[in-house]
Amino acid sequence: MATDTLVTISLPKEKQSSLDRFLAKGFPTNKWEEWKYTSLKSLNDIEWNWNTSEQSANSAALALENTVEIQTQNGKMTLKGTLPTGVEYLDFASFAAQKPEFMRTFNERNPILDQNSLYDLNDALASSHQVIWVKKGVKLDKPILHTYFASVSIASAIQIKLLIYLEEGSSLTWVDDLASSEDSKSILSNYVQEIWVSKNAHLTFVKTQDFGLSTTHVDHTFINQEDQSLVDMFTFSLNGGLIRNNLHFYVDGEQVVSNLNGLYVPGNNQLVDSHTVVDHRMPNSESNELYKGVLLGNSTGVFNGKIFVRPDAQKTNAFQSCKNVLASDKATMNTKPQLEIWADDVKCSHGTTTGQLSDEALFYMQSRGISQDAAKTLLMLAFVQQVIDKVEIPALKESISNRVVTKIQQALGV
Amino acid sequence: MWFRKIYGFNFAVNYHFKNKRMLSITNLHAQIGEKEILRGINLEVKAGEVHAIMGPNGSGKSTLASVLAGREDYEVTDGSVSFFGKDLLDLAPEERAAEGVFLAFQYPVEIPGVSTTNFMKSAVNEIRKYRGEEPLDAVQFLKMFKEKMAYVNIDQSLLSRSLNEGFSGGEKKRNEIFQMAVLAPKLAILDETDSGLDIDALRIVAEGVNKLKSPDNATIVVTHYQRLLDYIVPDYVHVLYKGRIVKSGTKELALELEEKGYDWIISALVD
Repeated sequence: MATDTLVTISLPKEKQSSLDRFLAKGFPTNKWEEWKYTSLKSLNDIEWNWNTSEQSANSAALALENTVEIQTQNGKMTLKGTLPTGVEYLDFASFAAQKPEFMRTFNERNPILDQNSLYDLNDALASSHQVIWVKKGVKLDKPILHTYFASVSIASAIQIKLLIYLEEGSSLTWVDDLASSEDSKSILSNYVQEIWVSKNAHLTFVKTQDFGLSTTHVDHTFINQEDQSLVDMFTFSLNGGLIRNNLHFYVDGEQVVSNLNGLYVPGNNQLVDSHTVVDHRMPNSESNELYKGVLLGNSTGVFNGKIFVRPDAQKTNAFQSCKNVLASDKATMNTKPQLEIWADDVKCSHGTTTGQLSDEALFYMQSRGISQDAAKTLLMLAFVQQVIDKVEIPALKESISNRVVTKIQQALGV
Repeated sequence: MWFRKIYGFNFAVNYHFKNKRMLSITNLHAQIGEKEILRGINLEVKAGEVHAIMGPNGSGKSTLASVLAGREDYEVTDGSVSFFGKDLLDLAPEERAAEGVFLAFQYPVEIPGVSTTNFMKSAVNEIRKYRGEEPLDAVQFLKMFKEKMAYVNIDQSLLSRSLNEGFSGGEKKRNEIFQMAVLAPKLAILDETDSGLDIDALRIVAEGVNKLKSPDNATIVVTHYQRLLDYIVPDYVHVLYKGRIVKSGTKELALELEEKGYDWIISALVD
């Protein structure tokens, strides 16, 4: 077993207990309800290097002008350039020492860790645990770009942890450009982000995932929102052998708005699994979830969207929609909306659809001179554009759009 | 000698535009599933002509329009269709469009997320590619669209919206004629274009069609009612019944049908 080598690792007490929890559970298999379609059992067959010191060249797909960049190369995080006034980048221990009061609140939070043994593994072994701290009232007008790149010559687990802390009235746009090289040896990329959005703060978080086939990426994003805060979250899963996204929102304030946008376009031999949780714990808040998928080749998609509306969360508006197009007979999509509502004065809706492109629409377009493949491409792009268009950074929108277009065109042979 | 050359040239132009045989349908049979709907259609259409296909419900009018445009639901079991000498049935729908066939749909399809302008840009440039022509650029499109918009009195805001999505019946049909104006087909087939239109919308659509008429293109108007033919005046009227053309005549035949219905023709048939 690959995890055998972990038994010999000796860690400080707290980290050791995280490791022990992981070892007790192991990698998730499809016997676990939350991992029914996404078994990581095969990771057991790989001899992992748990703490790589290999260098990787950064070959990020994205370049944004006038942007401060934080690079993560094979799990090593480095700040490039100078952060604007009012923003700090520091390691977790230094941050905790400076903000003991916040840490008390933070430690009392109550995340739902659904059968998430990889969170424990990350906690035990993360090579970096850094903090981005946006001070009270500081509004950044330029995004901060995090380029995360992995490429290894022996199978390696790469694990980092990040805390993004927005103080009251601040605002931040954070861009996660996650990638790995196509010809790398096996990578387990295990990435945890803990995000705290204080009263009246606004976070825009755009995540692009563009990995090689040998990469298994597990993403854990936990977002706590206080009163009147706003979060616009985007997850674009473009490529990767296996991508599992756990995105959890804890709505712990009133008049909170949480927007969850997702787009996945898995191709041949790729799997994308989006597990989202929106936990409404306080009244008068709103969440909007829009996920779309185009499934190419023999790919597999999973969407599991949970919405909890707790007894105190009266006057909650929670909307969820997941729409999928199967672009081939060999593609599979599994959807499961899960709403648990304990409050009685709420508006909630959910809908999932999975289908193929309409023959009627294709014929209409062909009758105007557009070839069937071009018509399919046009329809699929129109379908995904709704999510892409919500990104407000032109260069980023263009980059995502180009990558999606190219991928769909290649799959259809246009 | 010089005048003979010129005379010959003129004659050729005249021949090409006015009398050229465009569409020949011979003994066309088509079925959907096991059900035979077209049972031996014969029809000749020449450049410059307007033909009306009339007939009671279920006679095969829309099927004929669909088969000509290449809808896959129908299987052609016998007969042939030649379009400027080419075997039309051998071509994919998009190739037929590029050769100059246009079908104005009875029920135009809603295409969410694709605007009419983007749709038409793709269509025009795909057709130009087929014909070995250079693609048009944004400026050329702008100029062309502006010109064509005037034909059907359609405005820019409608063209920027998702194609047909939330359009009224009249807007959908005007949009069809706008598309027809942009693609400038050799043969336009209007499938029940009058259905769902009030009289004002009908007039606007018909005016658009009439403006697009020229000596080198032809129109087939498929309709149940005579009223559209007050505005788009046919040279020939054909009555379709049980998958066959059972009577052909001039525009007076349409008026007679309006007055007497279809029964007098049907009862005269020795089927």
